[in-house]
Amino acid sequence: MKEQDSELASPGALFPGSPIVPREPELTDLALETTDAAGIATGIPEEQLQKERKAPTPLRESLRRLRRDVRAMVSIGVVGLFVLIALIGPPIYQHIGPVYNSPLNGPVPSTDYHSFSHQELTRQDEGPSAQYWLGTDDLGRDLMARLMQGILISLSVALFVEVIDISLGMLIGVLAGYYGGWIDQMLARFTDIIFAFPGLLFLVLLTGIFGEWADVALSNIPIIGPNGNARLILVSGAIALTAWPLMARYVRGQTLQLKQQHFIEAARTVGTSHTQIMLRHILPNLFSIVVVVATLNVVGTIVGEAGISLLGLGVQQPGSSIGLMIAEAEDLVATHPWEILLPSLVLVMIVLAFSFFGDGLRDAFDPRSKDE
Amino acid sequence: MVQFLIKRFIGLLFVVMGVTFITFIMGYFAPGDPIRLQMGQHADPLLYAQLRHAYGLDLPWYQQYFNFLMGLLRLDFGNAFRYPSRTAWDILSAGVPVSTELAFWALLLQLIVGVPLGIYSALKANTRIDTFTMGVALSIYAIPAFVLAVCLQVAIMQIDQATGGTWPVANWGTPWQYSWDDIQHKIGPILILAAAGFAYFARLARTSMLEVLRQDYVRTARAKGMRERVVIYRHALRNALIPLVTVLGLAIGLLVTGVFFIENIFNIPGIAYATVSSISDRDYPVIQATSVLFAVAVVVGNFISDILYTVVDPRIRAE
Repeated sequence: MKEQDSELASPGALFPGSPIVPREPELTDLALETTDAAGIATGIPEEQLQKERKAPTPLRESLRRLRRDVRAMVSIGVVGLFVLIALIGPPIYQHIGPVYNSPLNGPVPSTDYHSFSHQELTRQDEGPSAQYWLGTDDLGRDLMARLMQGILISLSVALFVEVIDISLGMLIGVLAGYYGGWIDQMLARFTDIIFAFPGLLFLVLLTGIFGEWADVALSNIPIIGPNGNARLILVSGAIALTAWPLMARYVRGQTLQLKQQHFIEAARTVGTSHTQIMLRHILPNLFSIVVVVATLNVVGTIVGEAGISLLGLGVQQPGSSIGLMIAEAEDLVATHPWEILLPSLVLVMIVLAFSFFGDGLRDAFDPRSKDE
Repeated sequence: MVQFLIKRFIGLLFVVMGVTFITFIMGYFAPGDPIRLQMGQHADPLLYAQLRHAYGLDLPWYQQYFNFLMGLLRLDFGNAFRYPSRTAWDILSAGVPVSTELAFWALLLQLIVGVPLGIYSALKANTRIDTFTMGVALSIYAIPAFVLAVCLQVAIMQIDQATGGTWPVANWGTPWQYSWDDIQHKIGPILILAAAGFAYFARLARTSMLEVLRQDYVRTARAKGMRERVVIYRHALRNALIPLVTVLGLAIGLLVTGVFFIENIFNIPGIAYATVSSISDRDYPVIQATSVLFAVAVVVGNFISDILYTVVDPRIRAE
């Protein structure tokens, strides 16, 4: 009853959580393998050939299925593109363009007017041009630069949250599933509280109360502190705190099933210690479920950060974030809809790319989930 | 069955305690001294001590938590710091009918559109209609509600400008009144709030229906030569609907999240809007009150789910 509840109660929870059963190798697969092996056969010892003829591992099978999934491959391409834009976009973009003779600020080099915080007050609300590739906002700031910074913020928050989510979720999940007992009880109780407390509500509560304090106290931290980004530490910490119980729950379920399998029993019989079993036999088998849950969780994280910044509680001026850009353009919906549509569409693209890729991963790792 | 419900009730009570404690402890450690904020920097120390005492801020934390809980039972969430004569509840109560109205219609819409669509999709499983419907549902579920809201606003504005119309994109009419003007204001936000949950219900209904259609008793019914209509509507549908009652709490959680964005984008004077506005005034009690109210709404939703579950599934009663 409890298990059934949790399966239904989590969005996108169609992952049956069963270990991956290697598919029967198809005839064509086998044929391909042998020709491959024969093609490079010259000079390779017989032993190694034998090894290569072995049935493909479940992981390799899954990756092959993933490569055939057009939607998932397009999605990962989009994700990769955004990562590239966020990382190497700004340095390149800032070195493109001549010096601009501003009526207010005198000569301005492209490193300035292509930065996300530079205001050029005589150039407000412009459309795309050679100087401002995507136009300017109502303070004359370059939308392209702000957008790239926003994407960088989204992806950094997602990365930070996933690191905590995966490590904490796996640690608690494996321990709860393997040992049961009080740690399992604690996890169940904690998850109940987290599920009753919608993540956004917790974010609002935390940033609402501690936001101004963070603006002052955390802004001296190098790199992540300045430019109004100080609150992101609060934001990502809070998102991670509400995210890991779900991960732990999936890992726990998977661990419970693995524990009953014969190979664990066999490992026990030959005297392997509990720690060794968890590290060597259970952890590697959690790979697929962790990757899928983490990818799908990125969607919630990015939307959460954008949402809290949209409400004015996340990234502060003069920083940029996709949510903040939407909030800033909110008053200009009637006159300059482009400024609000641009960040919205980019957010949708990122979010869809991650969900489709997550879905593709799930189908690849567990083909049976597709019929559900 | 009574035992089951009591057990669940105790569990949920524990959750409420946890949520209130988190809320309390955040306010307790909140930076800034509310009394100083009211009195200014050069306060008379004696008066300062008296005020602290009057607000109960000089008590140890567990007594403060107890007072906080006792206050919650009387809907007394404390006084707003900015306007000490008003309680947090004064600030929020005007928004309650607005927010509940918004959430009520959205939930109703989710159920009456999402569930039938999911069932229909399951009956047409793996056809083009099914793929299309579920693709749309997945996209709507993935796209954040605030983006949908923004797109709707832009669309309405453009249409207004093109046709000279005056369809509103902000504010709310009179709560629970439905003149033409009210409907114009309300229909957009309700549709957007309904969107996310609608997709969730549709997907869940489809999964559940497919599961039931695979069961042996459905095959038996067909083997007996029953008409397909009877098999589906009498035998399969009823059981497919059971899992849907278990997600009411989750649906309310989705609504709570959505309400924050919808109210703030459309300037709807509900609870969430009042909360976000109060943050700039550092009215922590207002934020705390909202957290408790919304979390309790989710918990009550979960409990109603449990009760409904025992009603519709006789196996639970038997246990």
